[in-house]
Amino acid sequence: MKIKAQISMVLNLDKCIGCHTCSITCKNVWTNRPGAEYMYFNNVETKPGIGYPKRWEDQEKWKGGWELKNGQLSLRTGSKPERLLKLFYHPQQPEIHDYYEPWTYDYETLINSKRRNHQPVARPRSLITEKRMEIKWGPNWEDDLADGETARQDVNFDKMGHDITMEFHDLFMKYLPRLCNHCLNPACVAACPSGAIYKRDEDGVVVVSQDACRGWRHCVPSCPYKKVYYNWKTNKAEKCILCFPRLENGLPTVCSDTCVGRLRYMGVLLYDMDKVKAAASTENPQDIYASVLDILCDPNDPAVIEQAKKDGIATNWIKAAQNSPVYQIIKQWKVALPLHAEYRTLPMIWYIPPLSPITSRVEADVYLPDAAEMRIPVAYLAQLFAAGNDKVILNVLQRLLDMRLAMRCKETGDPLPERLEYDADTYDKMYRLLGIAKYKDRFNIPKGVTATSHEDMHDQQGLTGYTCPGGV
Amino acid sequence: MNEFLYGVLPYIALTIFVGGTIVRYTVSERNWTTKSSEFLSKGDLKWANPIFHLGLLMAFGGHVIGVLVPKYMTEAAGVNEHLYHMIALGGGIPAGILFLGGFLLLMKRRFAGSDLMKVNTSGTDRILYLVLFLTIITGCMGTLHIGGDFTGFNYRDTISPWFRSLLMLQPDISTMESLPFIFRCHMLMWMILAILFPFTRLVHCLSFPFEYLCRSHIIYRKK
Repeated sequence: MKIKAQISMVLNLDKCIGCHTCSITCKNVWTNRPGAEYMYFNNVETKPGIGYPKRWEDQEKWKGGWELKNGQLSLRTGSKPERLLKLFYHPQQPEIHDYYEPWTYDYETLINSKRRNHQPVARPRSLITEKRMEIKWGPNWEDDLADGETARQDVNFDKMGHDITMEFHDLFMKYLPRLCNHCLNPACVAACPSGAIYKRDEDGVVVVSQDACRGWRHCVPSCPYKKVYYNWKTNKAEKCILCFPRLENGLPTVCSDTCVGRLRYMGVLLYDMDKVKAAASTENPQDIYASVLDILCDPNDPAVIEQAKKDGIATNWIKAAQNSPVYQIIKQWKVALPLHAEYRTLPMIWYIPPLSPITSRVEADVYLPDAAEMRIPVAYLAQLFAAGNDKVILNVLQRLLDMRLAMRCKETGDPLPERLEYDADTYDKMYRLLGIAKYKDRFNIPKGVTATSHEDMHDQQGLTGYTCPGGV
Repeated sequence: MNEFLYGVLPYIALTIFVGGTIVRYTVSERNWTTKSSEFLSKGDLKWANPIFHLGLLMAFGGHVIGVLVPKYMTEAAGVNEHLYHMIALGGGIPAGILFLGGFLLLMKRRFAGSDLMKVNTSGTDRILYLVLFLTIITGCMGTLHIGGDFTGFNYRDTISPWFRSLLMLQPDISTMESLPFIFRCHMLMWMILAILFPFTRLVHCLSFPFEYLCRSHIIYRKK
């Protein structure tokens, strides 16, 4: 057993209203630089939809993540020698048009225009070529199922057993905020020929060393979530850094902090590093979720504590792990799931699947519906969060409904039904954390490896970290 | 003139080549990159880039054999002049076709292709591509004996011993007196290229990730 600490996040999709505040605050802090305009370290997609970049979930096309070859875990993009050949031309590398061409508007024309009969207009201009351009696609083109055609092209529909009609009466949608998953078995790290991407030993954050990166760009296709980006100006790879300068000061990421729905939770998980590879190599993709839960260690177990201390994990980190909101949600209550666990990267950003309105056919005679009666098809959620296993989704949704039932009983004084999985106290805690938790309950991040920094972050915006003279 | 060209300039060039590279690596590793443009324009890279690099590798290998291996060694190995020449042309012509052809395709892509490629082409790049073109074209012409009087000329009796004498730090420029014009150009071009090398995207060739083959998949690193 070798214990490692991982800063992890849970997103409660039940509460996401798709306001994009997380994306915008993240963008303002990290990717408002030339070369990075098209990047969203955090973006919010409307599902169903093809997403950003287009069809990122289609691993037949992108070859992202890992696969089992004769029981051996290997990158889908090919063996090491194969990939060294791909240095010269990578068939699975996304292009700028797979994301979108970033643009601004000629705002000056609004101010400088002479007096005329017609309103002056601000026409779009490419942020790459600086020429006039026609906008054909954007980072959020499908927001709220706009452009209904692409919703039908959602990759997850292809894998579902039955058809989705997308007719008006059974239309559904949900929001999916996405960021780098800071995986336990990151494909980008394994694919980087220069060894520039690594997991931080202290907190598991996956970062790209801007010095060591040589722009071989293999991380970009190999990440199945397409959350490593190629900066066309500095010619190096960039990705979400889980706001590590904030983490080190005991603060949550910008996206979590500014989330108006307060749906993000952050805290420490302890995991057994020796079992990571075995968990990622789980034969049946539907069992990967259980394998991951299995390698997350109980921070209150004396044996785990002793081993963690031996492995150099600080006391305040162990304490944080014991009071970790994400550990409760993920492991104790089992209501959070990893996104596309079948990619075998063991993502550490978890999602509580959303409940949704009751379908019209059962609406009339129920107060609390069954999990299967929701508008969002369970089979669809199962593609996203359970490698196609409906049962996992049904269980989680049922727990969320049970919590509501338990809280209702508390109000009405009715006895708790026998069949419930947890006791009233647990449901109460669950309700408090998922429903009304304050900042300090949602985030428990131990101050990090360095002393608190007192730099004025705002003054340094755009000046540190990613500053990089355009590669000669 | 010859003394400067073949006795002094090579050392200036090689010093800047080695010294400049070391300085850039230590001072400004941050901008040490392949400067890949596949992200901006992918389709037209598919054949051009592998062809160019394959031609380059073949040409490089040919130069190592032709310049660094003394004539008496190949002769001792039983390769006479005629056979050597056949082998050299047999390898050199395909290498030249791939190298120059790939280069021209890449230049077409860069300067007549997607608008986006402009942001991947700096002023330094333009100078580099001109020098690179002249180096490749003079090399190809020399191989095919075009441009100048080649009677009685054999680079293995002239250029190769001179280059080896450079490396031994005892420059002997006597063999370089009557070089055909095109080879004079080729000599000048490689020295200019060596001077430019540390300041251009060419440095990425030193970063070819051989060590990747024997590295573990997942890397953990302390702050």
